[in-house]
Amino acid sequence: MKRIVDVNIPLGPIHPCFKEPIRLKCEAKGERITGAEVELGYMKKGIERIMKGRPWQEVMFLAERVCGICSVIHNMVFIEAMEQISDISVPPRAAYLRVIANELDRMQSHMLANFSYCYTIEHETLGMYLLDLREQVMDELERLTGARVTCAYIIPGGVRCDIPKKEAEALLTTLDRMEADLRRYAGMFEGGPMIALRSRGVGILTLAAAERAHVVGPTARASGIAVDCRTNHPTYQKLGFLPITRPDCDNFARVMLRFDELFQSIGIIRKCLKELPKGIVRGGGVCKAGEIRYSGEAPRGELTYFIRSDEFGRIVEIQIQTPSIMNIEACCHEMIIGSDSIADVTSTFVSADPCVACTER
Amino acid sequence: MTTYLFEQDLITQKYRILVAMRHDSLVRKIARELDIPVQELRRYLIEHLDMIQLENLPARAEMADDHADLGDAIARALGREKYTIYLRILSGAAMDAIVNEVNTRVHAGTPVDDAVAYGRTQVREALKL
Repeated sequence: MKRIVDVNIPLGPIHPCFKEPIRLKCEAKGERITGAEVELGYMKKGIERIMKGRPWQEVMFLAERVCGICSVIHNMVFIEAMEQISDISVPPRAAYLRVIANELDRMQSHMLANFSYCYTIEHETLGMYLLDLREQVMDELERLTGARVTCAYIIPGGVRCDIPKKEAEALLTTLDRMEADLRRYAGMFEGGPMIALRSRGVGILTLAAAERAHVVGPTARASGIAVDCRTNHPTYQKLGFLPITRPDCDNFARVMLRFDELFQSIGIIRKCLKELPKGIVRGGGVCKAGEIRYSGEAPRGELTYFIRSDEFGRIVEIQIQTPSIMNIEACCHEMIIGSDSIADVTSTFVSADPCVACTER
Repeated sequence: MTTYLFEQDLITQKYRILVAMRHDSLVRKIARELDIPVQELRRYLIEHLDMIQLENLPARAEMADDHADLGDAIARALGREKYTIYLRILSGAAMDAIVNEVNTRVHAGTPVDDAVAYGRTQVREALKL
Protein backbone atom coordinates (compact mmCIF):
# COMPACT_ATOMS: atom_id res chain seq x y z
CA MET A 1 0.00 0.00 0.00
CA LYS A 2 1.72 3.21 -1.14
CA ARG A 3 0.64 6.56 0.29
CA ILE A 4 2.20 9.99 0.50
CA VAL A 5 2.51 11.08 4.12
CA ASP A 6 4.22 13.88 6.06
CA VAL A 7 6.62 11.71 8.00
CA ASN A 8 6.94 7.94 7.95
CA ILE A 9 8.53 6.61 11.12
CA PRO A 10 9.39 2.91 11.13
CA LEU A 11 9.42 1.14 14.50
CA GLY A 12 11.06 -2.26 14.47
CA PRO A 13 11.41 -4.96 13.38
CA ILE A 14 14.01 -4.92 16.16
CA HIS A 15 13.11 -2.49 18.92
CA PRO A 16 14.23 -2.48 22.57
CA CYS A 17 10.61 -2.36 23.78
CA PHE A 18 9.28 -5.16 21.58
CA LYS A 19 9.59 -8.72 22.81
CA GLU A 20 9.34 -10.07 19.28
CA PRO A 21 10.13 -8.69 15.81
CA ILE A 22 7.41 -6.73 14.07
CA ARG A 23 7.58 -3.62 11.93
CA LEU A 24 5.18 -0.73 12.45
CA LYS A 25 5.33 1.97 9.84
CA CYS A 26 3.81 4.95 11.62
CA GLU A 27 2.58 7.91 9.63
CA ALA A 28 2.86 11.17 11.53
CA LYS A 29 1.90 14.79 11.05
CA GLY A 30 4.27 16.54 13.41
CA GLU A 31 4.03 14.51 16.61
CA ARG A 32 0.49 13.30 15.93
CA ILE A 33 0.12 9.78 14.58
CA THR A 34 -2.28 9.67 11.64
CA GLY A 35 -1.93 6.06 10.58
CA ALA A 36 0.11 2.92 10.82
CA GLU A 37 0.90 -0.07 8.71
CA VAL A 38 2.04 -3.44 10.03
CA GLU A 39 4.59 -5.70 8.41
CA LEU A 40 4.84 -9.26 9.65
CA GLY A 41 6.89 -12.18 8.45
CA TYR A 42 10.00 -12.00 10.64
CA MET A 43 9.18 -15.15 12.62
CA LYS A 44 6.71 -17.09 10.52
CA LYS A 45 6.77 -20.76 11.53
CA GLY A 46 4.13 -22.17 9.16
CA ILE A 47 2.99 -24.36 12.03
CA GLU A 48 -0.53 -24.90 10.65
CA ARG A 49 1.03 -26.27 7.47
CA ILE A 50 3.29 -28.58 9.51
CA MET A 51 0.27 -29.84 11.50
CA LYS A 52 -1.71 -30.92 8.43
CA GLY A 53 -1.68 -34.66 7.82
CA ARG A 54 -0.10 -35.48 11.16
CA PRO A 55 -1.72 -37.58 13.91
CA TRP A 56 -3.13 -35.75 16.95
CA GLN A 57 -0.36 -37.22 19.12
CA GLU A 58 2.14 -35.10 17.19
CA VAL A 59 -0.11 -32.09 16.69
CA MET A 60 -0.71 -31.66 20.44
CA PHE A 61 3.03 -31.00 20.89
CA LEU A 62 3.12 -28.70 17.86
CA ALA A 63 0.09 -26.76 19.17
CA GLU A 64 1.81 -25.69 22.35
CA ARG A 65 4.83 -24.59 20.34
CA VAL A 66 2.76 -21.92 18.59
CA CYS A 67 3.56 -19.64 21.52
CA GLY A 68 6.05 -20.00 24.34
CA ILE A 69 4.22 -17.59 26.64
CA CYS A 70 0.75 -19.14 26.55
CA SER A 71 1.61 -22.73 25.64
CA VAL A 72 -0.79 -24.31 28.16
CA ILE A 73 -3.92 -22.80 26.59
CA HIS A 74 -2.88 -23.91 23.07
CA ASN A 75 -2.47 -27.42 24.47
CA MET A 76 -5.81 -27.16 26.30
CA VAL A 77 -7.87 -25.79 23.39
CA PHE A 78 -6.49 -28.34 20.90
CA ILE A 79 -7.09 -31.28 23.26
CA GLU A 80 -10.57 -30.08 24.32
CA ALA A 81 -11.47 -29.64 20.63
CA MET A 82 -10.38 -33.24 19.93
CA GLU A 83 -12.33 -34.40 22.99
CA GLN A 84 -15.46 -32.64 21.70
CA ILE A 85 -15.04 -34.27 18.27
CA SER A 86 -14.53 -37.70 19.81
CA ASP A 87 -17.01 -37.56 22.76
CA ILE A 88 -14.26 -38.13 25.30
CA SER A 89 -15.21 -37.24 28.86
CA VAL A 90 -12.77 -35.81 31.40
CA PRO A 91 -12.61 -36.97 35.04
CA PRO A 92 -13.71 -34.11 37.39
CA ARG A 93 -10.35 -34.01 39.18
CA ALA A 94 -8.52 -33.63 35.85
CA ALA A 95 -10.88 -30.82 34.80
CA TYR A 96 -9.98 -28.89 37.97
CA LEU A 97 -6.26 -29.53 37.47
CA ARG A 98 -6.55 -28.19 33.91
CA VAL A 99 -8.03 -24.98 35.30
CA ILE A 100 -5.16 -24.64 37.80
CA ALA A 101 -2.55 -25.09 35.02
CA ASN A 102 -4.40 -22.63 32.80
CA GLU A 103 -4.65 -19.99 35.53
CA LEU A 104 -0.97 -20.32 36.46
CA ASP A 105 -0.17 -19.84 32.77
CA ARG A 106 -2.43 -16.78 32.66
CA MET A 107 -0.71 -15.35 35.74
CA GLN A 108 2.79 -15.63 34.30
CA SER A 109 1.62 -14.19 30.98
CA HIS A 110 -0.12 -11.21 32.63
CA MET A 111 2.95 -10.55 34.79
CA LEU A 112 5.18 -10.61 31.71
CA ALA A 113 2.79 -8.25 29.90
CA ASN A 114 2.74 -5.80 32.80
CA PHE A 115 6.54 -6.07 33.12
CA SER A 116 6.85 -5.17 29.43
CA TYR A 117 4.60 -2.16 29.89
CA CYS A 118 6.49 -0.91 32.96
CA TYR A 119 9.79 -1.41 31.12
CA THR A 120 8.47 0.54 28.12
CA ILE A 121 7.42 3.52 30.23
CA GLU A 122 10.79 3.41 32.02
CA HIS A 123 9.52 2.10 35.36
CA GLU A 124 12.08 -0.69 35.47
CA THR A 125 11.91 -1.18 39.25
CA LEU A 126 8.28 -2.28 39.17
CA GLY A 127 9.01 -4.24 36.00
CA MET A 128 11.76 -6.23 37.71
CA TYR A 129 9.56 -6.86 40.78
CA LEU A 130 6.94 -8.32 38.46
CA LEU A 131 9.49 -10.40 36.58
CA ASP A 132 10.74 -11.82 39.88
CA LEU A 133 7.17 -12.74 40.82
CA ARG A 134 6.68 -14.33 37.41
CA GLU A 135 9.61 -16.66 38.10
CA GLN A 136 7.78 -17.89 41.21
CA VAL A 137 4.68 -18.61 39.12
CA MET A 138 6.81 -20.49 36.60
CA ASP A 139 8.19 -22.57 39.48
CA GLU A 140 4.62 -23.37 40.55
CA LEU A 141 3.75 -24.36 36.97
CA GLU A 142 6.77 -26.67 37.03
CA ARG A 143 5.62 -28.07 40.39
CA LEU A 144 2.23 -28.97 38.87
CA THR A 145 3.19 -30.07 35.36
CA GLY A 146 6.87 -30.94 35.52
CA ALA A 147 7.95 -28.25 33.06
CA ARG A 148 8.08 -24.47 32.87
CA VAL A 149 7.17 -24.09 29.20
CA THR A 150 5.63 -26.54 26.70
CA CYS A 151 4.46 -28.79 29.52
CA ALA A 152 2.16 -31.10 27.44
CA TYR A 153 0.18 -31.48 30.68
CA ILE A 154 -3.26 -31.81 29.13
CA ILE A 155 -3.98 -35.02 27.22
CA PRO A 156 -7.22 -36.45 25.80
CA GLY A 157 -9.37 -37.70 28.69
CA GLY A 158 -7.46 -35.98 31.46
CA VAL A 159 -4.10 -34.63 32.51
CA ARG A 160 -0.67 -36.22 32.54
CA CYS A 161 -0.16 -36.37 36.33
CA ASP A 162 -1.92 -35.65 39.63
CA ILE A 163 -0.87 -33.11 42.25
CA PRO A 164 0.14 -34.68 45.60
CA LYS A 165 -1.43 -33.17 48.74
CA LYS A 166 1.91 -31.85 49.98
CA GLU A 167 2.54 -30.05 46.68
CA ALA A 168 -0.96 -28.57 46.73
CA GLU A 169 -0.30 -27.14 50.21
CA ALA A 170 3.01 -25.67 49.03
CA LEU A 171 1.20 -24.07 46.08
CA LEU A 172 -1.34 -22.49 48.44
CA THR A 173 1.44 -21.08 50.63
CA THR A 174 3.17 -19.56 47.59
CA LEU A 175 -0.11 -18.04 46.42
CA ASP A 176 -0.57 -16.30 49.79
CA ARG A 177 2.92 -14.78 49.55
CA MET A 178 2.43 -13.78 45.92
CA GLU A 179 -0.92 -12.16 46.62
CA ALA A 180 0.65 -9.90 49.28
CA ASP A 181 3.46 -8.89 46.92
CA LEU A 182 1.01 -8.31 44.06
CA ARG A 183 -1.13 -5.98 46.19
CA ARG A 184 1.96 -3.88 46.81
CA TYR A 185 2.91 -3.81 43.12
CA ALA A 186 -0.65 -3.07 41.93
CA GLY A 187 -0.72 -0.21 44.44
CA MET A 188 2.59 1.10 43.10
CA PHE A 189 1.18 1.14 39.58
CA GLU A 190 -2.20 2.57 40.55
CA GLY A 191 -0.73 5.37 42.68
CA GLY A 192 2.33 6.24 40.60
CA PRO A 193 2.02 9.85 39.35
CA MET A 194 4.55 9.39 36.52
CA ILE A 195 2.84 6.15 35.49
CA ALA A 196 -0.49 7.98 35.32
CA LEU A 197 1.03 10.68 33.11
CA ARG A 198 2.21 8.08 30.60
CA SER A 199 -0.85 5.84 30.83
CA ARG A 200 -4.12 7.60 31.65
CA GLY A 201 -6.01 8.84 28.61
CA VAL A 202 -3.39 7.36 26.26
CA GLY A 203 -4.16 4.71 23.62
CA ILE A 204 -7.92 5.03 23.79
CA LEU A 205 -9.82 2.11 22.27
CA THR A 206 -13.53 2.94 22.27
CA LEU A 207 -16.10 0.24 22.86
CA ALA A 208 -17.48 0.58 19.30
CA ALA A 209 -14.03 0.33 17.70
CA ALA A 210 -13.19 -2.66 19.90
CA GLU A 211 -16.38 -4.43 18.82
CA ARG A 212 -15.78 -3.72 15.14
CA ALA A 213 -12.27 -5.18 15.27
CA HIS A 214 -13.46 -8.20 17.31
CA VAL A 215 -10.98 -7.27 20.05
CA VAL A 216 -10.75 -9.93 22.74
CA GLY A 217 -9.29 -10.64 26.17
CA PRO A 218 -8.07 -8.00 28.62
CA THR A 219 -7.82 -5.46 25.77
CA ALA A 220 -11.57 -5.81 25.14
CA ARG A 221 -12.49 -6.03 28.81
CA ALA A 222 -10.57 -2.79 29.50
CA SER A 223 -12.87 -1.16 26.94
CA GLY A 224 -15.95 -2.34 28.83
CA ILE A 225 -16.76 -5.47 26.77
CA ALA A 226 -17.59 -8.37 29.09
CA VAL A 227 -16.32 -11.05 26.72
CA ASP A 228 -14.52 -14.07 28.15
CA CYS A 229 -14.61 -17.67 26.86
CA ARG A 230 -14.26 -18.94 30.42
CA THR A 231 -17.92 -18.05 31.02
CA ASN A 232 -18.85 -20.86 28.54
CA HIS A 233 -16.44 -23.44 29.97
CA PRO A 234 -18.19 -26.04 32.17
CA THR A 235 -15.48 -26.15 34.87
CA TYR A 236 -15.30 -22.36 35.15
CA GLN A 237 -19.11 -22.26 35.32
CA LYS A 238 -18.95 -24.66 38.31
CA LEU A 239 -16.45 -22.31 39.92
CA GLY A 240 -18.84 -19.36 39.46
CA PHE A 241 -16.54 -17.41 37.15
CA LEU A 242 -17.51 -13.84 36.18
CA PRO A 243 -15.39 -11.64 33.86
CA ILE A 244 -13.89 -8.38 35.14
CA THR A 245 -14.28 -5.22 33.05
CA ARG A 246 -13.09 -1.62 33.23
CA PRO A 247 -14.70 1.30 31.39
CA ASP A 248 -11.66 3.57 30.90
CA CYS A 249 -10.45 2.19 27.50
CA ASP A 250 -6.84 3.46 27.97
CA ASN A 251 -3.38 1.96 28.60
CA PHE A 252 -3.83 2.36 32.36
CA ALA A 253 -7.08 0.36 32.30
CA ARG A 254 -5.50 -2.46 30.29
CA VAL A 255 -2.60 -2.87 32.73
CA MET A 256 -4.80 -2.51 35.83
CA LEU A 257 -7.25 -5.04 34.41
CA ARG A 258 -4.40 -7.55 34.17
CA PHE A 259 -3.58 -6.87 37.83
CA ASP A 260 -7.27 -7.43 38.68
CA GLU A 261 -7.23 -10.70 36.75
CA LEU A 262 -4.11 -11.83 38.60
CA PHE A 263 -6.01 -11.61 41.89
CA GLN A 264 -8.96 -13.34 40.24
CA SER A 265 -6.68 -16.19 39.03
CA ILE A 266 -5.27 -16.61 42.55
CA GLY A 267 -8.85 -16.88 43.83
CA ILE A 268 -9.76 -19.45 41.16
CA ILE A 269 -6.71 -21.63 41.96
CA ARG A 270 -7.49 -21.49 45.69
CA LYS A 271 -11.09 -22.49 45.01
CA CYS A 272 -9.98 -25.35 42.73
CA LEU A 273 -7.58 -26.70 45.34
CA LYS A 274 -10.24 -26.41 48.05
CA GLU A 275 -12.94 -28.16 45.99
CA LEU A 276 -10.60 -30.56 44.16
CA PRO A 277 -12.65 -33.76 43.66
CA LYS A 278 -11.14 -37.14 44.46
CA GLY A 279 -10.59 -39.72 41.75
CA ILE A 280 -8.54 -40.53 38.67
CA VAL A 281 -6.90 -37.92 36.43
CA ARG A 282 -6.55 -39.98 33.24
CA GLY A 283 -9.71 -41.38 31.67
CA GLY A 284 -8.28 -42.16 28.24
CA GLY A 285 -10.14 -42.15 24.92
CA VAL A 286 -9.74 -42.52 21.18
CA CYS A 287 -9.71 -39.51 18.85
CA LYS A 288 -12.12 -39.83 15.92
CA ALA A 289 -13.12 -38.10 12.72
CA GLY A 290 -14.98 -34.80 12.86
CA GLU A 291 -14.95 -31.09 12.34
CA ILE A 292 -15.13 -28.42 15.02
CA ARG A 293 -14.63 -24.78 15.86
CA TYR A 294 -13.54 -24.58 19.49
CA SER A 295 -12.53 -21.56 21.56
CA GLY A 296 -10.79 -21.11 24.89
CA GLU A 297 -9.71 -18.06 26.84
CA ALA A 298 -5.97 -17.53 26.43
CA PRO A 299 -4.22 -14.89 28.58
CA ARG A 300 -4.61 -12.48 25.65
CA GLY A 301 -8.19 -13.45 24.80
CA GLU A 302 -10.25 -15.81 22.69
CA LEU A 303 -8.14 -18.51 21.06
CA THR A 304 -10.00 -20.48 18.39
CA TYR A 305 -9.02 -23.70 16.67
CA PHE A 306 -10.78 -24.80 13.46
CA ILE A 307 -10.04 -28.50 13.12
CA ARG A 308 -11.06 -31.27 10.73
CA SER A 309 -9.77 -34.74 11.57
CA ASP A 310 -10.11 -38.15 9.91
CA GLU A 311 -11.10 -41.51 11.42
CA PHE A 312 -7.50 -42.26 12.44
CA GLY A 313 -7.26 -39.02 14.44
CA ARG A 314 -5.10 -37.30 11.82
CA ILE A 315 -5.50 -33.57 11.34
CA VAL A 316 -6.77 -32.98 7.82
CA GLU A 317 -7.35 -29.25 8.07
CA ILE A 318 -6.49 -26.77 10.81
CA GLN A 319 -6.50 -23.03 11.26
CA ILE A 320 -5.70 -21.16 14.45
CA GLN A 321 -7.21 -17.76 15.20
CA THR A 322 -5.08 -16.30 17.96
CA PRO A 323 -6.20 -13.33 20.08
CA SER A 324 -3.17 -11.24 19.13
CA ILE A 325 -4.36 -11.02 15.51
CA MET A 326 -7.42 -9.02 16.56
CA ASN A 327 -5.66 -7.09 19.31
CA ILE A 328 -2.64 -6.01 17.21
CA GLU A 329 -4.94 -4.99 14.35
CA ALA A 330 -7.06 -2.84 16.65
CA CYS A 331 -3.95 -1.46 18.33
CA CYS A 332 -2.32 -0.34 15.09
CA HIS A 333 -5.43 0.87 13.31
CA GLU A 334 -7.47 2.29 16.22
CA MET A 335 -5.51 2.79 19.45
CA ILE A 336 -2.38 4.55 18.24
CA ILE A 337 -4.18 6.72 15.67
CA GLY A 338 -4.41 10.24 17.04
CA SER A 339 -1.69 9.73 19.67
CA ASP A 340 -0.24 13.09 20.61
CA SER A 341 3.29 11.79 20.84
CA ILE A 342 5.34 9.25 18.94
CA ALA A 343 6.69 8.16 22.33
CA ASP A 344 3.22 6.81 23.15
CA VAL A 345 3.20 4.41 20.22
CA THR A 346 5.44 1.80 21.83
CA SER A 347 3.71 1.96 25.22
CA THR A 348 0.26 1.73 23.60
CA PHE A 349 1.38 -1.17 21.45
CA VAL A 350 2.83 -3.02 24.45
CA SER A 351 -0.29 -2.29 26.56
CA ALA A 352 -2.30 -4.52 24.20
CA ASP A 353 0.06 -7.42 25.09
CA PRO A 354 0.88 -8.27 21.47
CA CYS A 355 2.28 -11.72 20.76
CA VAL A 356 3.88 -11.87 17.34
CA ALA A 357 4.67 -15.60 17.65
CA CYS A 358 0.92 -16.26 18.02
CA THR A 359 0.01 -13.82 15.23
CA GLU A 360 2.36 -15.34 12.69
CA ARG A 361 2.00 -18.96 13.84
CA MET B 1 23.65 -7.66 -3.99
CA THR B 2 22.42 -7.24 -0.43
CA THR B 3 18.68 -6.94 0.05
CA TYR B 4 16.77 -6.43 3.24
CA LEU B 5 13.72 -8.48 4.12
CA PHE B 6 11.83 -5.43 5.38
CA GLU B 7 12.31 -3.61 2.10
CA GLN B 8 10.98 -6.48 -0.01
CA ASP B 9 7.44 -6.42 -1.25
CA LEU B 10 5.03 -8.52 0.75
CA ILE B 11 2.83 -9.80 -2.07
CA THR B 12 3.69 -13.48 -1.65
CA GLN B 13 3.29 -13.35 2.13
CA LYS B 14 -0.03 -11.53 1.82
CA TYR B 15 -1.18 -14.06 -0.75
CA ARG B 16 -0.34 -16.89 1.68
CA ILE B 17 -2.55 -15.24 4.30
CA LEU B 18 -5.44 -14.97 1.86
CA VAL B 19 -5.35 -18.60 0.74
CA ALA B 20 -5.62 -20.00 4.28
CA MET B 21 -8.82 -21.99 4.92
CA ARG B 22 -11.02 -19.33 6.51
CA HIS B 23 -9.58 -16.40 4.58
CA ASP B 24 -10.10 -18.23 1.29
CA SER B 25 -13.73 -19.02 2.04
CA LEU B 26 -14.34 -15.38 3.04
CA VAL B 27 -12.68 -14.00 -0.10
CA ARG B 28 -14.72 -16.39 -2.27
CA LYS B 29 -17.91 -15.35 -0.45
CA ILE B 30 -17.23 -11.63 -1.04
CA ALA B 31 -16.31 -12.34 -4.67
CA ARG B 32 -19.63 -14.17 -5.13
CA GLU B 33 -21.56 -11.33 -3.44
CA LEU B 34 -19.99 -8.70 -5.69
CA ASP B 35 -19.77 -10.99 -8.75
CA ILE B 36 -16.07 -10.40 -9.30
CA PRO B 37 -13.22 -12.82 -10.01
CA VAL B 38 -11.53 -14.19 -6.89
CA GLN B 39 -8.04 -13.37 -8.13
CA GLU B 40 -9.04 -9.77 -8.83
CA LEU B 41 -10.40 -9.40 -5.32
CA ARG B 42 -7.25 -10.95 -3.85
CA ARG B 43 -5.13 -8.48 -5.79
CA TYR B 44 -7.23 -5.58 -4.54
CA LEU B 45 -6.98 -6.75 -0.92
CA ILE B 46 -3.22 -7.26 -1.20
CA GLU B 47 -2.78 -3.75 -2.60
CA HIS B 48 -5.05 -1.97 -0.12
CA LEU B 49 -4.72 -3.76 3.23
CA ASP B 50 -1.68 -4.42 5.37
CA MET B 51 -0.77 -7.88 6.69
CA ILE B 52 -2.52 -7.65 10.04
CA GLN B 53 -5.72 -6.35 8.42
CA LEU B 54 -5.63 -9.34 6.08
CA GLU B 55 -5.08 -11.69 9.03
CA ASN B 56 -8.04 -10.15 10.86
CA LEU B 57 -10.46 -10.21 7.90
CA PRO B 58 -12.47 -13.29 8.97
CA ALA B 59 -12.95 -11.99 12.53
CA ARG B 60 -14.09 -8.58 11.26
CA ALA B 61 -16.40 -10.23 8.71
CA GLU B 62 -18.00 -12.26 11.50
CA MET B 63 -18.63 -9.10 13.50
CA ALA B 64 -20.05 -7.43 10.38
CA ASP B 65 -22.42 -10.36 9.77
CA ASP B 66 -23.68 -10.07 13.34
CA HIS B 67 -23.84 -6.30 13.77
CA ALA B 68 -23.57 -4.32 10.50
CA ASP B 69 -26.59 -2.44 9.08
CA LEU B 70 -29.16 -4.42 11.05
CA GLY B 71 -31.90 -1.82 10.62
CA ASP B 72 -31.49 -1.09 6.89
CA ALA B 73 -32.10 -3.92 4.41
CA ILE B 74 -30.73 -2.09 1.36
CA ALA B 75 -27.56 -0.94 3.15
CA ARG B 76 -27.05 -4.50 4.44
CA ALA B 77 -27.54 -5.97 0.96
CA LEU B 78 -24.92 -3.57 -0.39
CA GLY B 79 -22.65 -4.12 2.63
CA ARG B 80 -22.42 -0.44 3.57
CA GLU B 81 -20.92 -0.86 7.04
CA LYS B 82 -19.41 -4.26 6.22
CA TYR B 83 -17.19 -2.96 3.41
CA THR B 84 -16.45 0.46 4.93
CA ILE B 85 -16.05 0.35 8.72
CA TYR B 86 -15.61 -3.40 9.29
CA LEU B 87 -13.53 -4.70 6.36
CA ARG B 88 -12.31 -1.24 5.31
CA ILE B 89 -11.98 -2.03 1.63
CA LEU B 90 -14.05 0.96 0.47
CA SER B 91 -14.27 4.57 1.62
CA GLY B 92 -17.35 5.68 3.54
CA ALA B 93 -18.05 8.60 1.19
CA ALA B 94 -18.08 6.39 -1.92
CA MET B 95 -20.36 3.85 -0.28
CA ASP B 96 -22.75 6.51 1.07
CA ALA B 97 -23.09 7.92 -2.46
CA ILE B 98 -23.93 4.45 -3.80
CA VAL B 99 -26.48 3.75 -1.05
CA ASN B 100 -28.13 7.16 -1.58
CA GLU B 101 -28.36 6.53 -5.31
CA VAL B 102 -29.91 3.08 -4.76
CA ASN B 103 -32.42 4.53 -2.27
CA THR B 104 -33.35 7.24 -4.78
CA ARG B 105 -33.98 4.58 -7.44
CA VAL B 106 -36.11 2.53 -5.07
CA HIS B 107 -38.21 5.62 -4.18
CA ALA B 108 -38.57 6.34 -7.92
CA GLY B 109 -40.20 2.91 -8.39
CA THR B 110 -37.30 0.61 -9.40
CA PRO B 111 -37.73 -2.89 -7.88
CA VAL B 112 -35.46 -3.35 -4.84
CA ASP B 113 -33.58 -6.32 -6.36
CA ASP B 114 -32.80 -4.38 -9.52
CA ALA B 115 -31.70 -1.32 -7.53
CA VAL B 116 -29.44 -3.46 -5.32
CA ALA B 117 -27.96 -5.16 -8.39
CA TYR B 118 -27.24 -1.71 -9.82
CA GLY B 119 -25.69 -0.72 -6.47
CA ARG B 120 -23.39 -3.73 -6.61
CA THR B 121 -22.14 -2.74 -10.04
CA GLN B 122 -21.36 0.66 -8.54
CA VAL B 123 -19.50 -1.00 -5.66
CA ARG B 124 -17.45 -2.90 -8.26
CA GLU B 125 -16.74 0.39 -10.02
CA ALA B 126 -15.72 2.00 -6.74
CA LEU B 127 -13.34 -0.88 -6.10
CA LYS B 128 -11.97 -0.24 -9.62
CA LEU B 129 -12.08 -3.93 -10.48
